[in-house]
Amino acid sequence: MIEISNVAHSFVNKGAVIGGLPVLDGVSLTIHDREFVSFLGPSGCGKTTLLRILDGLVRQTSGQVTIDGHVIRKPARERAMVFQEFNLLPWRTTLRNVELGLELHGRSRAERTRLARENLRKVGLGGFEGYFPHQLSGGMKQRVGIARALSTSPNLLLMDEPFGALDPQIRELMQIEMLKLLETEARTVVFVTHSVEEAIFLSDRIVIFSARPGRILAIVEVDLPKPRWADDERIKASPEFVKYRSQIWHMLKGELQRAQA
Amino acid sequence: MAQYSRALEPRTEWARPFEKFWEAHRTAITRTVAVGLFLALWEWAVRGGGVNPLFLAGPIRVFERLYQVFADGSIWPHFWASGRVAGLGFVIAIAIGVPLGILMGRFRTVRDVLEPFVIAKYSIPTVVFLPLFVMWFGIGMWFKVMLVIVGTVFVIIINTEAGVSNVDRRLIETAKSFCANEFEILLKIVAPASLPFIIAGIRLGIGRVLIAVVVAEGFAATAGLGYLAFQAGAAYDTAQVFVAAILLGAVAITLNSGLRTLERRLAPWKESDTERG
Repeated sequence: MIEISNVAHSFVNKGAVIGGLPVLDGVSLTIHDREFVSFLGPSGCGKTTLLRILDGLVRQTSGQVTIDGHVIRKPARERAMVFQEFNLLPWRTTLRNVELGLELHGRSRAERTRLARENLRKVGLGGFEGYFPHQLSGGMKQRVGIARALSTSPNLLLMDEPFGALDPQIRELMQIEMLKLLETEARTVVFVTHSVEEAIFLSDRIVIFSARPGRILAIVEVDLPKPRWADDERIKASPEFVKYRSQIWHMLKGELQRAQA
Repeated sequence: MAQYSRALEPRTEWARPFEKFWEAHRTAITRTVAVGLFLALWEWAVRGGGVNPLFLAGPIRVFERLYQVFADGSIWPHFWASGRVAGLGFVIAIAIGVPLGILMGRFRTVRDVLEPFVIAKYSIPTVVFLPLFVMWFGIGMWFKVMLVIVGTVFVIIINTEAGVSNVDRRLIETAKSFCANEFEILLKIVAPASLPFIIAGIRLGIGRVLIAVVVAEGFAATAGLGYLAFQAGAAYDTAQVFVAAILLGAVAITLNSGLRTLERRLAPWKESDTERG
């Protein structure tokens, strides 16, 4: 269980004497084990920052975050992150890219290779072990990113707009594949997105953030039948889905207009 | 009208193959003709023109001499003498320059401490230190090695630093997210990411190494390609000056293309746009 209590964060502006740019303010939230939670909100609302705080890459200015009672101070092996820009090492092959996390966790060579191959197969990239990132499409690159994160068997998977750089059709396919993939290995997922539909389709709960500094505006429980990937077209056309979409969009629209102003 | 008249012109069939050959090889043909003309003009100037052969040997004599020094093997001691100085100095320069560049690119304090010295030295011609090195090391091999080191190390430092500070922050963050420590970040992210820059710095160093070797040998030496040139000049043996020049150029080109190949093999994802300094 993740407990976020009263977290605030400001970016320190280099050279500025007083204060900084506040991006998060008074955020409190509990995320349960094996829950899929999405962070949704206008650009700059601090949702990515909160994700990085959860990973331990950023230390919040105030407030506390604990996972199963332990305070987060730095990145840990139980957590893994999937990045919007994939962040693959251009000099490594697909296989060696997936091995990176395992390597940094000190796993043996044999184990690394085995787990990397296994996870590449899982994301549908069996046979692409020897390819370099510049030889792959965007969707394939992100599959590598996902395989890299999954291969370390994290309890908590943190995804920072993982499909944001992909074209819309590939994006929907990736959503379906990810749900399928996560079904077999239950784990907690925190997913940052700009897309209302993506959030509804994937999540158990959606946390909607206000414009900067980000506060929690609302939390929406998504009560749609599972498994959603098996029936994606019907679910997305269902009256419930449409209702969620207009309800959430209504809230977001006000915030977006405020952020623009 | 004039613009499309060419396309409408009836072409004679026999000209086609020549035209094709020309289109495919025009750069090579132009270059060959230009060099050939230059050599012919040179030879003509020495033989029949107004140039005194005492001051300028013709290309035929230069190539005869080039063949001769390899045929009788008299060139090898000079190769060995220069090669030893250049190789030793270059290896030491790389061994100092690459780690310093990495530290400067990665740690702000190191950069702030060393940058004034690097900039100062980068602006001063190396040769000016030659008298000092002779005082310190005598006129043996080591003052030459020293000149090579000082002449080369800074361009390597600067390129390495540029490479290291240009490493994609997101890749470093990715490694951190997987719990990498500073040493692992250096080893697994920073070093491979900046490798193309480091090799570019080394490539830029080649020219400087050769300059330093020639200058040092001109100052005091008993063998070497630079020594060969200066000695020949003193004896009015202009063909030998050109022999030394050609060999130095050949060495530079060989090393350069070797490193280019290495660069392409180690960093196939990167265009060769990494040179600085």
